[in-house]
Amino acid sequence: MSGLDGLMAGRVVLVTGAAAGVGRGVSAAFGAAGAIVGLGVRRPEAAADAAADVERAGGTAVVLQCDVTDAAQSAAAIDRLVADHGRLDAVVHNAVSGRSNEATDFEHTDLAEWEDHCSVTIRATWRLAVQAHPHLRASAGAYLLMSSPAGIEGSERAPFYSAVKAAQRGFVRALAREWGPDGIRVNSVAPLAMSPALENMKRMEPERVARIEGLVPLGRVGDPETDIGPPSVFLCSDEARYVTGQTLVVSGGRFTGL
Amino acid sequence: MGRRPSGRPVRPTTVGAVGEHTTLVVGGEDGIGAAIAARLAARGDRVRTLPTDVDVTDATAVAAVLRDGAPVDVVVLARIEPAAFVARSAVELDESAWDEACERTIRASFVLLQQAHAVVRDEGRFVVVLPTVAATGVAGLVPLCAAVESVRVMAKAVARRWGARGVTVNTIEVDLETFVRGDGSSEDAEGIAVPSVPVLGQPSLPERDAVGDVIGLIDLLAEPASGGLTGALLVVDRGTVLQP
Repeated sequence: MSGLDGLMAGRVVLVTGAAAGVGRGVSAAFGAAGAIVGLGVRRPEAAADAAADVERAGGTAVVLQCDVTDAAQSAAAIDRLVADHGRLDAVVHNAVSGRSNEATDFEHTDLAEWEDHCSVTIRATWRLAVQAHPHLRASAGAYLLMSSPAGIEGSERAPFYSAVKAAQRGFVRALAREWGPDGIRVNSVAPLAMSPALENMKRMEPERVARIEGLVPLGRVGDPETDIGPPSVFLCSDEARYVTGQTLVVSGGRFTGL
Repeated sequence: MGRRPSGRPVRPTTVGAVGEHTTLVVGGEDGIGAAIAARLAARGDRVRTLPTDVDVTDATAVAAVLRDGAPVDVVVLARIEPAAFVARSAVELDESAWDEACERTIRASFVLLQQAHAVVRDEGRFVVVLPTVAATGVAGLVPLCAAVESVRVMAKAVARRWGARGVTVNTIEVDLETFVRGDGSSEDAEGIAVPSVPVLGQPSLPERDAVGDVIGLIDLLAEPASGGLTGALLVVDRGTVLQP
């Protein structure tokens, strides 16, 4: 983790969906950068390993109950971080619907499935912005959204996931202009990274993962902590003080034309 | 039927000549949708629109209307909730206002695309018309920018899904004023406030008939020769945004 040392020392960050996958890896990277990391999770008991990762890396972990579809929970998570640590420097909204890995039968599905995606990714993106705004303005902080290459290219298998991730990209561009005068930067990362679902696929169907890896010029699917974490930390750090309104595609070169 | 070098048969093109289509224009009650519907009808095209009292987020209601009529060759989706065009700070919105300004447009687009797909012919054409705002982002229009980009990528996703039927799905973007006011010919057009979007810059080309340009592109996309063009974004803004 060299290079991140001290980059976020004393800074306070909330990461949603932090128990596993990209959220867990990014949280660990913030830990390596010296941050106090609020691990926003639906089930605190499931965040023990993620919290241990943050502490191992050198940060301070605070596990927070934060189902982002519950306005009261996300508000309470932010309030507790600010109350206990005096500030909030960055929010990383990474949580996604539990159905994100499912294929969507667009021609036959209904609005209930849409709501599963929309509530976590679009509505919570806006709501977290509202709740964090006064604190990020006070710290001249950063709001980082974990988007997806699917939100740029449009996935045949996952049209709803694509649509909600695309909404985040439009949101980032507009909010970056709106919050620029407040000194708050707004960006997103579109990662190609190992997830629990992909790890499971690697065990069950290694040839499928091998096919995916074959499409990546760098020859592998990214590691959440060591590949996705550092660019995410960078975008929330003072080193990216002049970067806002951008989507950084972190995909090993898989998506070069987006 | 011809054959590709791979030996697979080449699908013949079947979309009829311009003027012989049945075009469904969704969003035809105001703005650019109304202008497109009016001009297509004026030149003799068969134009279908949705009754204004249909709840476009109700799949059953939309299906009932669409399936009670002729199959459709071309679908033009040009519909955004009016609340999305009201410039406000994102942090000043409450949950209901956010829904009206952002999410309802996306929900409706899903329902309308889904239900229109059920009545469009094989080889049919979808043309989604949107304002250019999401290309750069506009302060005060966060919900609109989020909704527009969401619908644009939803269109790309279904372009991939519906290609097997020979159905194409493309997007045309126009400047915000054209989207909201259309050609300004309706009685309501003068009274509609359009937020200023100075970040989009000045157009490179002189003043043109933007609605006419859009219809020209719809006609082009409806041509059999355009059957290989799908998932594309065509920007009709006289060279204003000029995306990288």
